[in-house]
Amino acid sequence: MSKPHYDREHHVKKATGIGDPQCFKGEAGPAKFKVGDKVRIKDLPDIFYSRTQVYTRGAPATVAELVYESPAAEDESWDNTDNPVWFYSVVFRQKDLWPDYPDAFANDTVETELPERWLEPM
Amino acid sequence: MAEKHKPAPMVDEVSEFEVLEIAVRELAIEKGLFTAEDHQHWTEYMHTLGPLPAARLVAKAWLDPEYKKLAVKDGVKASLEVGIDWVNSMPTKFGTPSDYCNLRVLEDTPKLKHVVVCTLCSCYPRPILGQSPEWYRTPNYRRRLVRWPRQVLAEFGLQLPEDVEVRVEDSNQKSRFIVLPVRPEGTEGWTEDQLAEIVTRDCLIGVAVPKPGKTANDPRPVRPAVNPYHHH
Repeated sequence: MSKPHYDREHHVKKATGIGDPQCFKGEAGPAKFKVGDKVRIKDLPDIFYSRTQVYTRGAPATVAELVYESPAAEDESWDNTDNPVWFYSVVFRQKDLWPDYPDAFANDTVETELPERWLEPM
Repeated sequence: MAEKHKPAPMVDEVSEFEVLEIAVRELAIEKGLFTAEDHQHWTEYMHTLGPLPAARLVAKAWLDPEYKKLAVKDGVKASLEVGIDWVNSMPTKFGTPSDYCNLRVLEDTPKLKHVVVCTLCSCYPRPILGQSPEWYRTPNYRRRLVRWPRQVLAEFGLQLPEDVEVRVEDSNQKSRFIVLPVRPEGTEGWTEDQLAEIVTRDCLIGVAVPKPGKTANDPRPVRPAVNPYHHH
């Protein structure tokens, strides 16, 4: 019985000289959201690993930019690069994150990047 | 008697993290993942990094509107003009594993002020800014900036009017960020060299704004706790 072979260098071979996330360009398919769309951050369970901050869960946001395509952190942390998704830069109003944020500074915002699977249309 | 003349050790002790780093490094060399020579090259490369290229990028952007457009649209491409190649740098040649290759240049306006944090860890655009300052990595800064940005900025000496939007950029995925501040008054007719001098590391993180004559970072303010814990 032959030993199962796992290519530990698959990412190095793909990304060298091209860059990461550039090496996943064109692999996510059509983007579900566009700039200006109102979205809500899903409150998904995060078993083992996530890079979606807890303070963003359930909050409304606006898509500011489609930034790149890449596997989501939840997959990539296990070296799974099979399902790249679109990443969006989204902007929150501070007031929507922290209800007691002072009204005097109602314009203040937080911007962060999230993979498509964490966003739902509003 | 010889004891008396023994020089004091340069470091008192090696931290657990340093021990761990040495152990992992030696294992990796023993297993042939990289050589001791590779490691020396990477370490020397890391020590060459600092905020000067980013300061140069900002100064160029202030002087050349076309370059500013490029910087905001494609930070990685704009970095090439200040000598930083995000993609082909050591050690990996695809963005070091934690830095990746997506620099975003955040353009301030008179009504919008950006400031960068990484609440999840301490992501920092090291190829163009060097190693992060110690305070940037502390839980204190990371927790509080996103929640009380104006108070934290005030501690750095930056008080902003109510009508300026403070935008906290929480660097949580593969983009890395530098701030392109507003060019200050009193710099009319300045050369690129003169302008680059006032773009300090703190201005590039967003906790300070450039001022003519100010070419160094302020020391990080350390204030006593409001309700200190007393040991009885």
